[in-house]
Amino acid sequence: MTAAGPRLSESPAGAVVASLLSVRDIEKSFPGVRALSGVSFDVAAGEVHALLGENGAGKSTLIKIVSGVFPPDRGEVIVDGKPVNLNRPDDARRAGVATIYQELLLFPELTVAENIFMGHAPRAGFGRLDWRAMREKTKSLLASLDIHDLSAERIVGALSVGNRQRVEILRALSQDARILIMDEPTAALTEYDVTRLFDIVRRLKSRGVAVIYISHRLDEIFAIADRVTVLRDGAHVATKRVADTDSAQLVQLMVGRKIESLFPKITVPIGEPVLEVKDLERRPLTKKISLSVRAGEIVGLAGLVGSGRSELAQTIFGVTPAEGGEIRLAGKRVEVRSPAQARALGVAYVPEDRGTQGLVRPMTVRENFTLAALAKVAFGGFIDRPSERKLAAEGVARFSVKTSSLEQIAGKLSGGNQQKIVLGKWLANQPKLLILDEPTRGIDVGAKAEIHRLMGELAAQGLAILMISSELPEVLGMSDRVLVMREGRIVAEFSRAEATQEAAGAAMMGSALETAGEAA
Amino acid sequence: MTAMSEIPLPRAAKRVAPWWLVRHETMLAAILLVALVVLGALNNRFLTVDNLLNQGRLMTEVGLIALPMTFIIITGGIDLSVGSTVGLCAILLGYSWKTFDFPLPLAIVFSLLVGAFAGFFNGLVITRLKVPPLIMTIATLALYRGLAEGISQAHSVRGYPDWFYFTGQSNLFGVPAQLWLLVIAIVIAGVALDRTTFGRTLYAIGNNETAARFSGLAVDRVKLIIYTLSGFMAGLSGYVLVSRVTTTRSDMGIGYELDVIAAVVLGGTSIFGGVGTIWGAVVGLVMIQLLKDGLALTGVKGDATIIVIGAVLILSTLVASSLQKRRDSGG
Amino acid sequence: MTATTFPRAEADPRRLLRAFASQEALLAIAVVGLAIVVGLDNPRFLATRNISDVLLGNAYVAVAAVGMSMVIVSGNIDISVGALIGVLATISGTLAVDGAPIFITWMAPLVVGVIIMALQGAVVAYLRIPAIVVTLGMLSILKGGLISVTGGKWITDLPENFHLADIELFGIVPMPVFLMIVATILAAFWMRYSAAGRAIYAVGGNAEAARLCGISQRRTIVMVFALHGFFAGIAALLFATELRVIQSTVPPNLELTIITASVVGGVSILGGVGTVVGSTLAAVLIAEIASALVFIDVSPYWIRAVQGVLILATVIADILRRRRMAGV
Repeated sequence: MTAAGPRLSESPAGAVVASLLSVRDIEKSFPGVRALSGVSFDVAAGEVHALLGENGAGKSTLIKIVSGVFPPDRGEVIVDGKPVNLNRPDDARRAGVATIYQELLLFPELTVAENIFMGHAPRAGFGRLDWRAMREKTKSLLASLDIHDLSAERIVGALSVGNRQRVEILRALSQDARILIMDEPTAALTEYDVTRLFDIVRRLKSRGVAVIYISHRLDEIFAIADRVTVLRDGAHVATKRVADTDSAQLVQLMVGRKIESLFPKITVPIGEPVLEVKDLERRPLTKKISLSVRAGEIVGLAGLVGSGRSELAQTIFGVTPAEGGEIRLAGKRVEVRSPAQARALGVAYVPEDRGTQGLVRPMTVRENFTLAALAKVAFGGFIDRPSERKLAAEGVARFSVKTSSLEQIAGKLSGGNQQKIVLGKWLANQPKLLILDEPTRGIDVGAKAEIHRLMGELAAQGLAILMISSELPEVLGMSDRVLVMREGRIVAEFSRAEATQEAAGAAMMGSALETAGEAA
Repeated sequence: MTAMSEIPLPRAAKRVAPWWLVRHETMLAAILLVALVVLGALNNRFLTVDNLLNQGRLMTEVGLIALPMTFIIITGGIDLSVGSTVGLCAILLGYSWKTFDFPLPLAIVFSLLVGAFAGFFNGLVITRLKVPPLIMTIATLALYRGLAEGISQAHSVRGYPDWFYFTGQSNLFGVPAQLWLLVIAIVIAGVALDRTTFGRTLYAIGNNETAARFSGLAVDRVKLIIYTLSGFMAGLSGYVLVSRVTTTRSDMGIGYELDVIAAVVLGGTSIFGGVGTIWGAVVGLVMIQLLKDGLALTGVKGDATIIVIGAVLILSTLVASSLQKRRDSGG
Repeated sequence: MTATTFPRAEADPRRLLRAFASQEALLAIAVVGLAIVVGLDNPRFLATRNISDVLLGNAYVAVAAVGMSMVIVSGNIDISVGALIGVLATISGTLAVDGAPIFITWMAPLVVGVIIMALQGAVVAYLRIPAIVVTLGMLSILKGGLISVTGGKWITDLPENFHLADIELFGIVPMPVFLMIVATILAAFWMRYSAAGRAIYAVGGNAEAARLCGISQRRTIVMVFALHGFFAGIAALLFATELRVIQSTVPPNLELTIITASVVGGVSILGGVGTVVGSTLAAVLIAEIASALVFIDVSPYWIRAVQGVLILATVIADILRRRRMAGV
């Protein structure tokens, strides 16, 4: 393992490069989570600097600070050698920083030119827009990037994703941005569009624009970046010159975390298959998926965000019903067209986003606990309050939920306790298959360990568990088997014995390291 | 299951509504009391049993619709077409009897079915095509009223047999007949909202529709039911109205959406969804009716009272939203 | 590299077709087509007298729909406008009868309209109360206020020079029709070509992106409502000066007719899309249909049902169009 990198004010190569932007000792906490602890980072004019890290490593937080979405708790941002205060997106814009987010922030009903100049259009007096100037400027911007298949008057909603992204880049340039941040710019692009994007990036580079490039794809980083900084758990791990490193080392830096706690996966007898999925299709992110989960087995599903893990889970659970392929539960072929049906078939799904999908935050602990199992405590549609309270109280005790009373508003509990409620509400229903989507994200270590303990217990009771997680140690520690997804497909399968951080990480990243275990 | 002992099992607390809701309803009741006393002191005809019962008669039509409207607003939706549905059902009641020679009882049932279908159509488009409820029901507000006008050609229907007026005009055990209907409906709606899985589903939808769906609740079916119910109750309200005023006209129920929504919102149901009770809606309803009556008795003309209702609607939303903001900032 | 001509961007062959298939073009075709069809059946429909009656009698709806379109494009709604027009017309008429200078009687509805609407816009934008609640409440306040002040009496004995409709430009174009056309064109240009006009689309289309572009959502909404009040003022003026009397009530559900014109004119009810040219054409079309019903011996009482079907069909088409666009 590499030691945490030094504060790099000089480039690692030793050459003195004037950094256009540097951040120093940035710290940022959100309620209950420390997102960044003392991160430093810099980028020079004409340089492409890649930011690499797992989900939750702190990349998004870092770029949001640099783009002025929120200020850091501590530390400073320096542009052109002068400290700047970036409290609003406007401040960042004035400092010459432009950000292209993954979800493109465009106005689909407006034209290319209008989108480019929204908020800073050339004026012609009396608040009138100077349309001629706007069109001319758009044309020269297009020409300066050698784009000839995009006209200023096209409606943006009708453009391809690649072209929309180009519009965003043009918007950044129209603001004379000197520092361009690109957050996973290739996530939704075709190969051809990626090539064109790289052309543009090289062009910008030659003009002296500093580019901060965030991507999970190692091959891209080797193709386009000059330096790469790896973040892990909100901390700076290393900054390397791309020429001095290789994929193996980067994967190692990204995932190479000490396994802090023991994951008590008890070996239990594995039973009959509970879930069998064959050639499941739901475009765009579920492509010909086949897998099975047996009673008592925990199957880990690893992959990067956007690889299609949650989409697969939601297709099995009936949120986005399948378009092709088959699902068998306990050997019987089933059609799952809604979550209500999935629940009736004994499938439980603890969703990724606790706040918006799992918990009804303004409702009480009692009401949340019984939400998925109302039929259990109701007779002819009438809720029997004593049995409802009993069910909720049992759940609170079984999952050690720390709450002042059953009537506590669930949204006011800590993340870990909220997660226990979401998990608990499903178990009240006695499911046969439990799908857990990021079951321990954003919760503290103690609660994490408890949830892992519970998973072990549940598997021992014969429940089949499919667990999605972005934390490799968790996947490796908890699972009997590990499946890896990339771009909507299952690309690798490892037994517990075979699964190592390096192998799984490489499969997730799709790098040259990919070795045995390749499925498709 | 070993580590169970570290946390004492929480005592099953007494069922309490959130504090601010209690406060909203208590506040409302207190205001109601003060208003009663003041209006009574201003006019000695106000606080008489006869007058109060008569007010009960007058508020039934709006009250019947306010119950399903409470359900709908709790889910975060709205139904603006109720007034037009009242008009359409009243017209169809009269026309199916007079022009198409339906037996009157059948005509009543027919008009109720039309009401239910009008609501079902709203619900269907809202759940299937995901048209926002506000927009959908503005469109059918125009459509249903237009149908009522087109079918009736602005002619009225009158001359119903005497028994038909029973619901609207007579007393049962000394209380206006339609008030019994309203009371029964209130009890059913109140129990349904407070005690059943149906009611729980409404709150869950209003507070977090995605989580409700992800918990396997039949979100779309429940929405379809409440909009259908809203249309049905508008039909029932139309029948009660015709029975009370003895004629059928196509402009019946114009502006009902205002009275209904004002009563529901005044009763503490959040226009943003997730919060509200039937009991609150009833207090809101009574309050608005007594306010109207009290103002009328003290010499304010009938049309001016709708100024008060409009102001009440805006102010009570303001108060409720600032209370909610305070609650949210607490967590 | 500066003075060279750039290679022309690839022409979009669908563009011409799309221009043809735009809501405005469809409406224009519908307006003309309906006139021809009904005119063949009954030539009196095309008499100058009838055309001018239809336009004169409904110019105020079209003008009000211009403001309404802006409100809907910004992602809001206003159902108080019908009652507001009644109030403003009464204010104007009362001033005229009391002998105020004509200029004042014409300006008063504009000023009061802007104030009342800006107030509502401020409540919507700053206190975060949904527009439907604010305007529903205001509808009843205005309506009740109007009836209790006037006692239902009509305003008569208006001074001769009060009547805008009597002024004819170039001897043929009545003032109201002229105002309708001018208001539409000015508003269309303003919405299309000014920064503030584009901000309305930005706020209605993607509020989050608008914020990141430095556009204030709150100020934009207040501005939109204020402008809507301005157009309501003009509409009220046209309504007040149309006949020799001013009724103390406006046509029932006037706000619905205005909303229908906006929506049928292609303003997306979800915000972010639409033009005022379309809404004016739609207002004309609705008035034309109402008139045509008489000429083809269909009772005019069906007009609102026709409106209802029109608005429902447009809304559903809009939703389906958006869904298709999102699906790509």
